[in-house]
Amino acid sequence: MKKIFAWIRGLAAVYCNEFRLMLHDAGLMLFVTFLPLGYPVIYSLIYNPEIVREVATVVVDHDRTPMSREFVRKLDAAQGVWVKGYAADLHEAQRAMAGQDCFTIFEIPEGFQKRSGRGETAEAIMYCEMSLLLRYRACLVAATDVSQVMGAEIQTRDIQELGLGSIATTDPMPVNSVAMGNIKSGFDSFIMPGVLMLILQQCIVLVLGMRGGARHESPKLIGYDPINHDSSVVATMIGQMAAYFTIMFVPLMFLFHYVPLIFAFPMAGDPWEILAFMLPMVLASMCMGLCLQAFVWEREAVFVLWVVTSVIFLFLSGLTWPIYGMSPVWKALSAICPSTWGVEGFIRMNSNGASLAQVGDCYRNLWILAGGYFVLAWVLHRFVIRPTEPRAARA
Amino acid sequence: MNSSEATRASSASLRRDGGVRAIMLRSLLEIVRRPLYWIGFFVLPLFCFLFLANEMENGLPMRTPAAIVDLDRTSLSRTVEQNLNGMQLVQLDMACESFTEARKAMQEGKVFGVFVIPRGFQADLLSGRGPVIQFYTNMTYFVPANLLYKTFKTTALYTKAGVALKVLETAGANPEEAVPMLNPVSVVDRSLGNPSLNYGVYLCNSFIPGVVQLMIFLVTVFSLGQELKYGTSRRLMQMAHGSIIRALFGKLLPQTLIWLVVVFFMESWLFGWNGYPMNGSWFWITLSEVLFVLAAQGMAVFIFGVLPNLRLSLSVCALIGVLTFSIAAFSFPIQSMYGPISIFSWIVPVRYNFMIYINEALNGLGFYWSRWWFAAYMVFILLPFTLLWRIKKAMLNPVYVP
Repeated sequence: MKKIFAWIRGLAAVYCNEFRLMLHDAGLMLFVTFLPLGYPVIYSLIYNPEIVREVATVVVDHDRTPMSREFVRKLDAAQGVWVKGYAADLHEAQRAMAGQDCFTIFEIPEGFQKRSGRGETAEAIMYCEMSLLLRYRACLVAATDVSQVMGAEIQTRDIQELGLGSIATTDPMPVNSVAMGNIKSGFDSFIMPGVLMLILQQCIVLVLGMRGGARHESPKLIGYDPINHDSSVVATMIGQMAAYFTIMFVPLMFLFHYVPLIFAFPMAGDPWEILAFMLPMVLASMCMGLCLQAFVWEREAVFVLWVVTSVIFLFLSGLTWPIYGMSPVWKALSAICPSTWGVEGFIRMNSNGASLAQVGDCYRNLWILAGGYFVLAWVLHRFVIRPTEPRAARA
Repeated sequence: MNSSEATRASSASLRRDGGVRAIMLRSLLEIVRRPLYWIGFFVLPLFCFLFLANEMENGLPMRTPAAIVDLDRTSLSRTVEQNLNGMQLVQLDMACESFTEARKAMQEGKVFGVFVIPRGFQADLLSGRGPVIQFYTNMTYFVPANLLYKTFKTTALYTKAGVALKVLETAGANPEEAVPMLNPVSVVDRSLGNPSLNYGVYLCNSFIPGVVQLMIFLVTVFSLGQELKYGTSRRLMQMAHGSIIRALFGKLLPQTLIWLVVVFFMESWLFGWNGYPMNGSWFWITLSEVLFVLAAQGMAVFIFGVLPNLRLSLSVCALIGVLTFSIAAFSFPIQSMYGPISIFSWIVPVRYNFMIYINEALNGLGFYWSRWWFAAYMVFILLPFTLLWRIKKAMLNPVYVP
């Protein structure tokens, strides 16, 4: 019984000590407040226009007929394309593209209208600059839509001209596509829910990693004593986690609930279930951060070691490149990152409206990772960190 | 520590080993002695090179899992299903009894899209009642959803064309007349530079230099800030005989050389090993990489000059370095961003690296079109010279603010 009380006293001591350290450390405070509060807002603002509209386009019209002009007018009216002007020939258009005055060239060959009049297929050519796929997609969608709308009009005309009036000229088989989850098909709504989870994980890991770096620093240099002297390893770990959980609770709530609210991202999930889902995500990230502490020998080193991993976690998460398209090695690596499951589960709940039961796989894996990283962190703390602590003057 | 440093600095022996060469040797030893630098210079960048390019090796993810809901169950609906399954980009993993079942599978992440054939499809189609084909794509995952969209749409249009052809023929049209009638206007798509829509070409050529820039920022500022933190900057200035230019030159030149090796490797990795399009001149691309390293170092030194404090300048570098991947418009064009935000895309060196890559490697244009981007590098390289006085002041009176 005494032992248990001593343990709890140790835990409470760590908890209070961690708060003292945090408040003395401007760098840590910056990370627990600005990172979750400011960063997602900046990120969301960058992509907030959501959709690529009005891509600058130059037309080379060798046909100069009512039909070619009709084609260009329709193209200009489409969401994705802005017809900036005509070029006399392809060479002039190429110069415009080279100078980034336009990103697509539509070339309408001579005989565009004539071919259509003869009942042949009238072809236009789209040259697209391929540095950004979103731009290409906007132009391709516009071009496809225009060709289909004009095609349907011509089809109706042809059928009547052929004297096949008996056929109904309405669409024989309408095709309807529906965007699920992210119904606007916007880029912000696509990427940000996932990025929020990445920010959450990186923020927690960076904070705990930086905290861990303090133990090797001279207390004189940093102005406080970073070691928890009389607590057991587990008590130290849990005390640290509890302290950071307390201080980061509100910023993290802002991150995954209010940021989507402010920027009108899809929010189809049940907020309480999402909150429940976040628990293992936060715990797994914290345990990962505790593991990182073993490798950080100086508080600032965490920047060099960890910041760039955000890119790695982003590409491992399956957000940009789907997990089913990865090789087994990367699949395995992605499975041991909390962010992978956090991103997937959060997107499915938040955007697709899945229930906690439906993301059971992610939820379970996050708990497994939390447990696994906790054990790993214990091993590292017990056998790596404790022995290297400068004044290991404990019994 | 500062006092002992000062006494050591005052000893006459130091006068002899001063000079740029000694500083360079000192800087090099520092790099060799600390594994942290190995990780920053080599391990992390090289891992990112390997990982990004290898992950997207196939160009596009094939066989996106999708579900089909066949409510008709006739020979025609089965033909549609077979056609769909024959497409390269889709894999019909599930056949669902109802849309609800398919939607649940989508929420569980098993499929990324659903293709629905309505009840009475064949009968309605043949009698001209216009049955509606619906397909659903999960737009929370852009790449799989767009690939499925394309495949679903193509399949639906082929089906429609087949039916229309049959109807036209039964109504008495010749096949020669009827076939072009199905597709009266078409737009031929010529995607310049990356005709296979290789995702690796699109992402690696911007993200990998972005990683390099981030690491240059962090390592440069870290190494300079260490001098302030441990008060060794006085010794550094002593060795440089009080000249901040000499001190920075000696301190950073070994790093520059290492970064040059890294970017030359990057260049050969991207355009050589992975075979990404390289339609322009190797000379200008190589020059661009060299200036890119100098520009990134210049910007890092400038940030350090603005905030001569290890912690703060590292935080700012990390913030800018990570934001770069979004603000430099690698995926979302600046023309579509809000104006006041898009101007920030021009404050990072990697933006110019990206522009020169587009002009030279992807589009094969001449130097003329990139002249301003090369000039922009120069601005970054000259930037730190405006704040040398501040860095010198900080180096002479090192203060560590935790």
